[in-house]
Amino acid sequence: MLKSLNFQDLREKVWGMIDRRVRIITAGLGLNEIRAVLRGDPPTEKPNPRYKVHTTSFLFHIRPRYYEAGSTIFTHTFRLGFFTTFFFFVELVTGLILMIYYTPSPEKAYDSILNLISNVPFGLLLRDIHRLGAEAMVIFTFLHMLRTYLTGSYKKERSFTWFTGVFLLGITMFLSFSGYLLPWDQLAYWAVTVGTSMAEAAPLFGNEINLLLRGAPDIGANGLLRFYLLHVVLLPLLAVLVISIHYYKVSREHGISLPASIEEGNVPEEVKKKAKQRIDYLPDLLTHEVFLVSLGLLAVLLSVTVFGYHAPLESVANPQVTPLDTKAPWYFWFLQGMLKLGDKTLMGIIIPTIAAVLLIAVPYIDRNPHRSMYKRPFAVAIGLFAVLVLIVLSYMGLPQYGIETDPATRIVQDLAPEEGEGPLRLVPFDQLLPGVYEVNLTDTKRMCAELDYGCPALVEVFEIFSQRINQAVAEGKMMDVQAVLLIEAWQKDLVKITPRIVYTDPKDGMRKTYERHIYLHRERGRE
Amino acid sequence: MRRVKVEIFLGIVFILIASMILLGYGIQEEQRMAEYARAQEARAIEAGAALYEQQCSRCHGTQGRGIPGLCPPLNDRYFFDQRLAEVGWSGTLEDYIVATASSGRLISTRADLYPGQGVPAMPSFSEQFGGPLREDQIRYIAAFIMNWESTAELVEAPSRPSGAAVGTDITKALPEGDAARGEALAQSLACVACHIASPTGPAWLPSGDQPGIGTRAETRIGEAGYSGQATNAFEYLFEAIVLPNVHVVAGFSEGIMPANYAQTLSDQDLADLIAYLLTLK
Repeated sequence: MLKSLNFQDLREKVWGMIDRRVRIITAGLGLNEIRAVLRGDPPTEKPNPRYKVHTTSFLFHIRPRYYEAGSTIFTHTFRLGFFTTFFFFVELVTGLILMIYYTPSPEKAYDSILNLISNVPFGLLLRDIHRLGAEAMVIFTFLHMLRTYLTGSYKKERSFTWFTGVFLLGITMFLSFSGYLLPWDQLAYWAVTVGTSMAEAAPLFGNEINLLLRGAPDIGANGLLRFYLLHVVLLPLLAVLVISIHYYKVSREHGISLPASIEEGNVPEEVKKKAKQRIDYLPDLLTHEVFLVSLGLLAVLLSVTVFGYHAPLESVANPQVTPLDTKAPWYFWFLQGMLKLGDKTLMGIIIPTIAAVLLIAVPYIDRNPHRSMYKRPFAVAIGLFAVLVLIVLSYMGLPQYGIETDPATRIVQDLAPEEGEGPLRLVPFDQLLPGVYEVNLTDTKRMCAELDYGCPALVEVFEIFSQRINQAVAEGKMMDVQAVLLIEAWQKDLVKITPRIVYTDPKDGMRKTYERHIYLHRERGRE
Repeated sequence: MRRVKVEIFLGIVFILIASMILLGYGIQEEQRMAEYARAQEARAIEAGAALYEQQCSRCHGTQGRGIPGLCPPLNDRYFFDQRLAEVGWSGTLEDYIVATASSGRLISTRADLYPGQGVPAMPSFSEQFGGPLREDQIRYIAAFIMNWESTAELVEAPSRPSGAAVGTDITKALPEGDAARGEALAQSLACVACHIASPTGPAWLPSGDQPGIGTRAETRIGEAGYSGQATNAFEYLFEAIVLPNVHVVAGFSEGIMPANYAQTLSDQDLADLIAYLLTLK
């Protein structure tokens, strides 16, 4: 029986069987071909099986067969669109896992975040990555758009791609914004209250839109559920759809634009020819993409670990307490800045709408056939000016700009903000020696004589307090000031700190008192 | 080397570094979660302290020592060691605090010592039952109260008067008062909890442009809006103690000061107290 077995035959048969299976799975690539791809060899068969994959496999058919060499130059695209998509997928994956631990109800939402952080291994990491991904996606979307504008890549046949891009910018911002409410902390609650109140200013249906979004006059259980569903169902679906259209236009129809200098510049023929050379998806582009993904993953991980990026979490949402410094997410600061300039309807609805329409219409307004920046100085100037305006408006949107807070409140708020840490909360617990420390009377050199090592951190905070008070007096904002920092031992491992400022308000000559009570526990930890 | 190979090499290096970071992060996870849970508990106590001050301290005292004739002490050894057995509660003390604070008390369980504010003896604090606080806020308050457990001392309930009670006739002649004994009495009756330590009741000691209670008692009776019967400082204080709701000083609310001193103080006690108060000019 052994005699009848032909090993040579058997080997070929088995190889052939495996090869067939592999061809089915890879949609056309045989074992030899895969080997050649990995080794960087030329295709082993004719016609090129690496192109066949793009017609037989779904996942590969949405990818390009090749890009022109010129369009893959790094300084042309900076891979901004790629990384936008990368962060979108990061959001999908982390978001899906976060959904397991989240309950969209006002009673449970905040607790579920606390539970995620304190009770789920890698929970904090996931949340940090999800938040970082969201912010990065907004940044990359914006930069991608700016790049497209500056290289003139939106022109002619690519104008519809530009339109879907503007649409995606909107979706990205609303995705980010709708996710903002979900932790149900003070930051989320008030940022979204401010944001949705803008919808109220819309002409004709403002009130109805606001009601539809919030589910009630104020954000509550209904509003949270609506934002949750927007965030996890409607907007992601819409994003997938529009990203698909956007990407299809790029990868299958027009390709990535060539740099203007090559397309229309005065360059030698061989450079143009070289730029037109094809770079195949398999293996070059695919390798490059996998490389970029690993680079992206490493960067994300480094940011949330070594560089210490953390998703903020304030105290639980409280509709009764409006925090002193309410602000929108940073990518909406420009809108907040605009609102300070004028009427809510005009600045919050009409002008942003006009801006969006203008943005969509850019390819149709700009009839200049050239793409090179040097041949369209006017368009470039407008673009840079728009960026500058955005930055200035964002700065004006900061709560520090243009809002007058009563001086005593401001001083105490800067020392120990309602949310977050501030210098006072950073003083080590052991240095918080009970006592009454009065500004301009207490000798800072002898503040904690009982403590072996003194209390340098407390002294420092007290000096900031004194200096701010004296500065306010010098500026004439307060008169006859009596300011104390009162520290009491309140409970085991708990102190009560009361900054109290008694002053005469020069505006109305009234005697006023401002004080806040801050409780600090030994084990509160740092943020 | 071709670019593809460089990219494959670098990609592998990046993935390896990322895995190492993830591994290092994972090793610390257990410790980080425990630390976060502790910090969370600490912050719950901080939040509870602020809420306790706003909602509970008026009756239970800023330091939880209670107010005799009104509300029981919470910063009290008895409360931590024996209260559960007394009421037959099967859960934990923390649950007991949450339950009581949430739903309040219709009638006091110790009506003779701590009758509370009438009916209900203690209002409900949970939003669910028409109160001002959310569930998590009540849990913060419970965390704050539980933090007294390790340091709480026994709070002695004040003893009843040995002789006849003083009654509510403010013109009654009282024996000679002893200011020193009055001061001790103000301590043991926990008057100081509200009138010196925290601003629940009008402060006795002079502060700012306000003189002490002794001087105010003289001037108050002549002021417009005074609704009592007293004709001199002595009678004003007599009335303020035994009939606290006849005239409530502007800025303070009615029904906070225990109204049972007419029944729980003797003639001598009251005379001593008034003598002490009159020294606080």
